Amino acid sequence: MRVLTVDDSRTILAMLRHTLSGAGFEVLQAEDGKQGLDILRNEPVDVVITDINMPVMDGIQFIKEVRASGLYQSLPILILTTETSQDKRSEGKAAGGTGWIVKPFEPEKLISVIHRVVH
Amino acid sequence: MSELDEFKATYFDECSELLLELEEQFAAIQSGERTPDRLNAVFRAIHSIKGGAGAFGFSALVGFAHAFETLLDHVRDGRIEMSVEVTGLCIRANDIVADFVTAARNNETLPEHFGAEEKLRFDALCAGENVADLEGELMEEFDLDFTPVRVVLKGDTEPVYEEPDADRFETLPFQAMAGHWTVGFKPHPALYARAGDPLLLFRELASLGDTHVRAMLSPMPVLAEFDAIGSYCAWEITLSSPTVTEAAIREVFEFVEGDCDLTVTELATTQPTALPTEALAPAARAADHGTTLASQSSALSDLVPPAELTQKIDPAPALPKSPVAAAPELARPSPVTEQTPAEDKPSEHKATGVQSIRVDLDKVDRVVNMVGELVITQSMLTQQMDETLRAKYQELVRGLEVLAQTTRGLQDSVMSIRAQPVKSVFSRMPRLVRELAGKTGKKIRLETVGENTEIDKTIIEQLSDPLTHMIRNSADHGIESPAKRSAAGKNETGVIRLSADQAGGNILIVVEDDGAGINRERVLSVARERGVVAPDQQLTDEQIDQLIFAPGFSTADAVSDISGRGVGMDVVLSNIKKIGGSVHVRSITGRGTRMTLRLPLTLAVLDVMLVKVSATPYVIPLSSIVETIQCSRADFGRVPSGGKVLRVRGEYVEVIDLAERFALPNEADTTNRFVVLCETDGSTKVALIVDDIIGQQQVVIKSLEENFERIEGIAGATILGDGHVALIVDVQGLKSMVTHRTAA
Amino acid sequence: MPPGVAEEGTRNMDALAIREDSLGAGLVAGQNSLQLIAFSIGEQTYGVEITTVREIRAWNGATPLPNSRDYVRGVINLRGTIVPVFDLRARFGEGRTSPTKNHVVVVMSVGEKWVGILVDAVSDILTVSRDDIHAVPDGNAVDTELLTGIITHDSRMVGLIDLHAVVLGAPTDA
Repeated sequence: MRVLTVDDSRTILAMLRHTLSGAGFEVLQAEDGKQGLDILRNEPVDVVITDINMPVMDGIQFIKEVRASGLYQSLPILILTTETSQDKRSEGKAAGGTGWIVKPFEPEKLISVIHRVVH
Repeated sequence: MSELDEFKATYFDECSELLLELEEQFAAIQSGERTPDRLNAVFRAIHSIKGGAGAFGFSALVGFAHAFETLLDHVRDGRIEMSVEVTGLCIRANDIVADFVTAARNNETLPEHFGAEEKLRFDALCAGENVADLEGELMEEFDLDFTPVRVVLKGDTEPVYEEPDADRFETLPFQAMAGHWTVGFKPHPALYARAGDPLLLFRELASLGDTHVRAMLSPMPVLAEFDAIGSYCAWEITLSSPTVTEAAIREVFEFVEGDCDLTVTELATTQPTALPTEALAPAARAADHGTTLASQSSALSDLVPPAELTQKIDPAPALPKSPVAAAPELARPSPVTEQTPAEDKPSEHKATGVQSIRVDLDKVDRVVNMVGELVITQSMLTQQMDETLRAKYQELVRGLEVLAQTTRGLQDSVMSIRAQPVKSVFSRMPRLVRELAGKTGKKIRLETVGENTEIDKTIIEQLSDPLTHMIRNSADHGIESPAKRSAAGKNETGVIRLSADQAGGNILIVVEDDGAGINRERVLSVARERGVVAPDQQLTDEQIDQLIFAPGFSTADAVSDISGRGVGMDVVLSNIKKIGGSVHVRSITGRGTRMTLRLPLTLAVLDVMLVKVSATPYVIPLSSIVETIQCSRADFGRVPSGGKVLRVRGEYVEVIDLAERFALPNEADTTNRFVVLCETDGSTKVALIVDDIIGQQQVVIKSLEENFERIEGIAGATILGDGHVALIVDVQGLKSMVTHRTAA
Repeated sequence: MPPGVAEEGTRNMDALAIREDSLGAGLVAGQNSLQLIAFSIGEQTYGVEITTVREIRAWNGATPLPNSRDYVRGVINLRGTIVPVFDLRARFGEGRTSPTKNHVVVVMSVGEKWVGILVDAVSDILTVSRDDIHAVPDGNAVDTELLTGIITHDSRMVGLIDLHAVVLGAPTDA
C-alpha cells in the first residue's frame, strides 16, 4: 500500500515515514501541495496524508485541486494538523478531505486512522 | 543513535533553518515589506517549530511558540496589524524561541519566567479574539478532539419504528437488551466525494461488537434514471456489545459527520420486541420495500426515503418522515483569509520550480576528493608527456588536453555542489549586533551585502567564529558611544557593514565600521610593552594595524566578555589561515576600520607555480604571483637597516630568500636564481628568491595539520606528479613572519 | 596507482620477512598479553603495540619541513595523505639518522593522527605478557620520557615506546 505524505517539516516527514514504513507502507514524500500533485499525477497512491500549512501550495488548496481533477474521487486524504480548532478541520473537509489526525500523532493512532479510510 | 535521537537531530537542524528564515523575513517586514507571503512564511515557521517541539515534549518551547503562533495567525489573517511595535515584539520573540530551542537541544532549562513578558504581550494582543486554545495545558492533546454530532430530529416529531419486511430482508429479532444499538446511516453524495467508504465504517463498527448490516434500497431509481455518483442507499446496522457506548459508535462516524444522516439508538430492555405492523404496513412497506435494480418497479421510484429508525414510542401510525438532514457541523464563518497560493509569486517563494534533493555531505565530500585525485592524475599524465612523446603521439596529446578541460569543468561543477550562500553565516549577525548594542549602550546598525555569494560549505562553517569576533571588535573598539559620535559630527548610530564578494579566485569578506579607527598609539605602546615590537622600531601605519593580529595581543584592559574573553585577533588570523585564507586590516583614524578576509574559492584545488629551493620542491599560489625575474637581471639594493630590497618599477619591495627563511642549505651563487614577485593583501609586494622555477600546474591542497601541525609560512602541502610532497608557500604568512622576527 | 608514484617501497606486513617468535607463538594472545612489533635503532630494540601499526614502508626520502625540530625528518605521501616522519634515533637524542633504502618507516596511528617513525629495521612480532612489563628505571631522562615500560625478551631488553610522548612533547626549538 502506497501512502503519499505531504508536509513542509522534514521532521514530520521523517517521523511519518518511520511509522508508516514500519507498518508495511510504501512511503512517498512531498514538501508542499504542488510537489504532492506532481507525484499523484505520476505514481499510483492509495492514501494521502497532508499538512495544512505549507509554502507554495497549502493543504487546503492541494485537496481542492485533487478533488477537482476528477481522477481521485476515491482517494482518501487525511489532514495532519496541530490545530485543534474546529474551523481548520471543517475547512479541510469542505475542501474534500476524508479525515484528519492531530499532530503530534501516536504511531498506532496514525495507522488505525489510515485503516479507517482505506482498505 | 536511537531513532528518537535521529528525529531530534533532524528537528534541530530544521529549527536552525527556520530560525534563520525568521530572522530574514522579519528583517524584511521591519523595513516595510509586510506582504502576505512573508506573514504566512513566519507563521508557518513558528508553526513547524511548535509542532516538532510538541512531538518531543519540549513543553516550555511549545508554550511560548504557541502564543507566538497564535499572534502570527491573527496577523496573517488581518485581525491584528503588524505594526512597528508588534514587529519589534516578534523580533524579540524570535530570539527567545532560539534560546528555547538551544536549551532544548542542550537539555537545559531556562529560568521560569523566560519570555514571560513577551508571552503576556502576545496574549494581550490576542485578547478578544478567539483564544480558547490557550487554556490549561498547552501540550498538544494526543487524542482527537471529540465533538458529539448533533444529528437529531427537530422538534418533537415522533420517531417511527419500522418493521423490516420479512420477505426481502433478513429478519432480525430485536431483542431489546442492554448493549443493543441500532444505527441508521444514510450517506450524502458529499461523503463519497470525500472518498468516504461505508464499508470501512461498517467494518469499524464490527470491531466494536456483533453487527448486522441491512441495506435499505428503497430509493433506488430505475436504471435509466440512475445517477452513477448519486447516493441512494441507506443502511441500518444493529450492534450488540456489553461495553460499547453511544460515544464510541458516533466516533466511528466522526469523519463523515455532516455528510450523512445518522441516528444512534440504544434499545431499552422494557420495550416490546415486535411492533404491530399493520398500522404501518402500507407506508412501511412502501417506504422500505426494497427494489432491486432488476425489478425496477416504477411504483417505487417516487417513494420517500425511509424513515429514520428509532425506538418506537407511540404505536400510532406515524408517517415516515423525511429524514431531517443533520445540520452540518460547519464552523462559524471562518475568518481565515484566502491565502494566496494560487497566485504564484516566485520571487518570494524559495525556488519555485527548482527541484532539489537532499544529499549526505559525506557523499559529496567523497566525490570532491575523487575529483581532486582525478585532477592530480590528469596533471601527472600531462607531465609525463615529454617532447618526443608529444611529437609522436599527437592524438594522445590532444586527448589529454580535452581531458584536462573536462576535468576542470567537472571540478568546477563538483565544487559548486558544495557551495552555499554565505547567508547562513551572515544571518546570525543581526542578533549579535543587537545584543552588542544592548550591552555596550551604543547605537549600532548592521548592513549586509552580497549574502548570496556562494562559498564552499566547509569554509562557511569556519567563518562563523572569525566573523563574530571581528564584529565584536568593531562594536567594542570601533564604534564610539552616541555622545562621542555626535561630538565628532557623526550620526549617533554607528554602522557595521558586512559584505561578501567574489574577486578572481577568491572570496572577499569585508567587515567595516565607521567608528574611530584603530588607536595606533595605543596599539604601538601595547606592542612595545609586550615585546612584540622593539622599542625603537619604526613601523608604518599599516604595519601597526597588522599588529592586532600578533599572538597574545589584546588591548582589552580587562577580560572583556564582549570581545570573547580577551582572546585576540590572532586566533581569528590563525583560523582563517587554516582554511587557506588571509586577513588584512585597513584603518583611518576617526573614520573607521575595514577588515578584509580573503578566502580561496575552493579548498581543494589550486593553481600554482612549482619552484625549487635547494632541491626541495615548493609551490606558490599563482594568484599571489605578479611576475618572475631572473636574479641576474634584478635590481637589488639595501635599506639602511640592512635588509635586502628589490627595486622594481619605482617601488622598493622587501626580499625574502626562501632558502634562508626555510633554513635550507644556501646556494652561494645568487645569479642563477630567480625572483618570484608576489603580492599579498593590500597590494603589498614581496619578492621571494628561489633556486629554480619549474613551471605552472594545478595541485590539490592537502592539510599538514591533519597529521602534524601548522607551520608558519606554509599554507599546506600537495602531492606532485612524481608522488613527492611539495609544500605550499604562504606568502602573506611569510611576510608577517618577517615582521615578528625583526621585532624579536 | 598512477605511474610514477613511488609505491615500490611499500610492503605490507605479510610480505615482510618477519619471523614469528617461537616463544611468542606459544602464548595465545589473550587478556593478559600484548602483541608488539619490535624494531631496532642501532643496538637498541624498541616495540609498539601491533594494533597501532598501519603500514611499514621502505625509506624513500621525505620533504623537509622548514623550521621544525631536528627529529622531524619531513613529510611523506601516504596514498594521498600527508604524514610526518619522526627520526626515532634523533628523538632519543642519539643524533640524526642517515637513512638509506634499507631503512624503514613504520606508519602508526597516534590518537587521530597518522605518524611515521624512521627506524633502522623492523625485526619481530612478539607476544608478551603484561605481567612481564617492568617500569622504566630512573636515570635516563629521555627513556623515562619516551618509554612506558621495559620488557625482557629472549635476553633482549625491549623498550615500549610511548607514542604520544614521541610525537608530541619535546620543547620546540626557536
